[in-house]
Amino acid sequence: MSNNSILVIGGGFSGLTAALEAAEVGHEVFIVEKMPYLGGRVAQLKHYFPKLCPPSCGLEINFQRIKNNPRVKYFTLAEVVGVSGGPGNYEVKIRIKPRYVNNNCTACDKCVEVCPVERNSDFDFNVGKTKAIYRPHLMSFPMRYVIDDQVCEGTSCAKCVEACEYQAIDLEEKEKEITLNVGSLLVATGWVPYDVEKLTNLGGGQIPNVITNMQLERLAAPAGPTDGKIQRPSDGAEPKRIAFVQCAGSRDQNHLDYCSYICCMASLKHCTYIREQYPDAEVVIYYIDLRAPGRYEKFLNNIQQDEKVLMVKGKVAKIEEEPGSGDVIVTAEDIMGGLKVEERFNLVVLATGMQPSIAVEDLALDVAKDDQGFIIGGEEKGVFAVGCAKMPLDVMTSAETATGAALKAIQTVRR
Amino acid sequence: MATRLEPNVQFIREMQAAGGESLKKCYQCATCSVVCPLSPEEAPFPRKEMVWAQWGLKDKLVNDIDIWLCHNCGECSDNCPRGAKPADLLAALRNMAYKSLARPAIVGEWMSSAKYLPILFAIPAVIFLIVWAVSTGLKIPEGTIIFAKVFPTLAAIDPIFILTVLFVVFTFAASIGKMFSSFKESGLTPKEDAPGFLMSLIGVVKDEIINHRKFKECESNKDRYPGHLLVFYGFVALAIVTGIVAFFYWTDKLFGFGMTTPLALWNPVKILANAGGIALIVGLVYLTRSRLNADPKKSVNSYYDWYLIGVIWFVVVTGFLAQIFRLADAAAPAYIVYYLHLVSVFMLFAYLPWSKLAHLVYRTVALAYARQIGRKGLSE
Repeated sequence: MSNNSILVIGGGFSGLTAALEAAEVGHEVFIVEKMPYLGGRVAQLKHYFPKLCPPSCGLEINFQRIKNNPRVKYFTLAEVVGVSGGPGNYEVKIRIKPRYVNNNCTACDKCVEVCPVERNSDFDFNVGKTKAIYRPHLMSFPMRYVIDDQVCEGTSCAKCVEACEYQAIDLEEKEKEITLNVGSLLVATGWVPYDVEKLTNLGGGQIPNVITNMQLERLAAPAGPTDGKIQRPSDGAEPKRIAFVQCAGSRDQNHLDYCSYICCMASLKHCTYIREQYPDAEVVIYYIDLRAPGRYEKFLNNIQQDEKVLMVKGKVAKIEEEPGSGDVIVTAEDIMGGLKVEERFNLVVLATGMQPSIAVEDLALDVAKDDQGFIIGGEEKGVFAVGCAKMPLDVMTSAETATGAALKAIQTVRR
Repeated sequence: MATRLEPNVQFIREMQAAGGESLKKCYQCATCSVVCPLSPEEAPFPRKEMVWAQWGLKDKLVNDIDIWLCHNCGECSDNCPRGAKPADLLAALRNMAYKSLARPAIVGEWMSSAKYLPILFAIPAVIFLIVWAVSTGLKIPEGTIIFAKVFPTLAAIDPIFILTVLFVVFTFAASIGKMFSSFKESGLTPKEDAPGFLMSLIGVVKDEIINHRKFKECESNKDRYPGHLLVFYGFVALAIVTGIVAFFYWTDKLFGFGMTTPLALWNPVKILANAGGIALIVGLVYLTRSRLNADPKKSVNSYYDWYLIGVIWFVVVTGFLAQIFRLADAAAPAYIVYYLHLVSVFMLFAYLPWSKLAHLVYRTVALAYARQIGRKGLSE
């Protein structure tokens, strides 16, 4: 007798969509999420395509659907550590890391006020800081704080425990392991931004005023570390000249040997962020090919109307810091003009691509992947890849793959 | 306005065969032009050469001065996101220039593929065998080993090599003329205030060749700087030695003072010769190693590369072995190895205009011309 339940690995937009699709036709679904919150990459964006909504729109409705649906169970800070069995009858071991904060948490922020330890915020890609106890983000779901046990001083400090009026903090909480029985698995492990440290010729991680596109999202997000103000990391100055470096690590056999699909649109979207704050700022987008899939071409055409947004065909291959000013010197060949030029900018944004998460941190599940780490198999085992675990996609298309995969999983467990 | 392009498909195939096999992989991102430390601001290379190559624009490419400004450091190929190997394409275009610039064209044909190697070897092998047959009837002479007993300087070595040198000089004179007219054809003419060609040439030797400045600017192939430098100065030392020996041979003949070979080991000229030989060997080790270790995804060695390295090894190894056998008084091996040494030296010099070594003339001329037209790297 086949087990009717479905496990979804990853609680980002793809995973949430797949889980809800299956749950809302009656299946029990478990979501296993590594981070302390659901919502994944979308939660980190200021706006997302196709309609340039803020993440609250879209995620909020999905969170409501989860809350109202007893068939969806989710685990945060959780990872799959072992899978045995076969289609229709899987046994999955899940390790859940301690959050140290229980359901009593009301997000009153008293603990944060007293916490003496600061950490770089991974949610903000290190452009911001949090305390050792922190709220994952403004609209995090579940709305519960979490402690980073890598930096927390533990029971020797315990200032947060004293400050908490609701007995929500337990510094002694231990890691635990649970076992789930499911009939099918959906892999919605998503993506990580490509590691810019590997882009040495682009000053990745070395030059303060060279940031990534995802860092720009955090700078521009209203609840981000700068309250939504786009400014240079080195001195907080308003940038007047900004360059976007497309294909930073994508379409490159030395890095990611594929087009990451979203980066062109991301940079065009970022032009709207910049224009909103700085009507006179000059923007140069250096590209190999501008790829605006399908209807997005209209968006490209709109940005091209902006006289202060210049699009230069020619990949940037050299970025250096100008000593003293903090400005950044970008070298590219303007192919149309046939000139190799050095241009100075206040801020440079590397349009880094997406790498499948499981290419960086392997998943404890035997499933065929291509040489770049995207999942290409598993269907015969009742394992289905969703969203960016499968290929680089935008949010809308990810959700479509999620619906399709949910159907496949349902077919597997009903057999 | 539409421009009509005439793609030369045959030319594309020739470039691929001559070492530019990956040229079609290029997607025109221009990373290469940016990372190249020698590429100029206006019309930088090698991105434009890649698109010309893909389109088969033979006229553009055969008149292109930039293939000679490239020092083949490989920075472009290392950073190429597609593995299109621009450095190999430019090397292939130079190989094709070696083949097409100098006359008679048949030598170019023989130098372009390993299958003709027996012919190239046989020509000097037969010549020097005839010399040997005439001098001693192919016998190993008795007594002290003096190579001139078998290969007499005045009657054989000098005439053969003087003729060879004249042949090479005239060949180059004609092909340099062709090169100039091809540069002019591509619209590159010296500026009004440009220095004369001779001044530019002296400038190139002084600022670039003596110190190998441009080799040092490259990150990608660090072994090539010491390798090329040592081989270069090894040859310079040996050229000086040859000059001195020839000079004193004639003073001895004409005025009765001078020196005759073999020279004693402690003779300063002999010391210079051996130092030059050792520099050659060390340099060759560097260059051979970097070619053998080259990542096939980044660069592929062509027959032109191996012919030159191989012949220089042939020259150096037979040169040293002949000396060692002579000092060890092993007559038969000494004369035989010396015979092979003469064959190798002939193979190096007589075919020079069609070999990769011709870059010493073509590149130097192109660099001097580039100074006249004011073409220099963005960072220079």
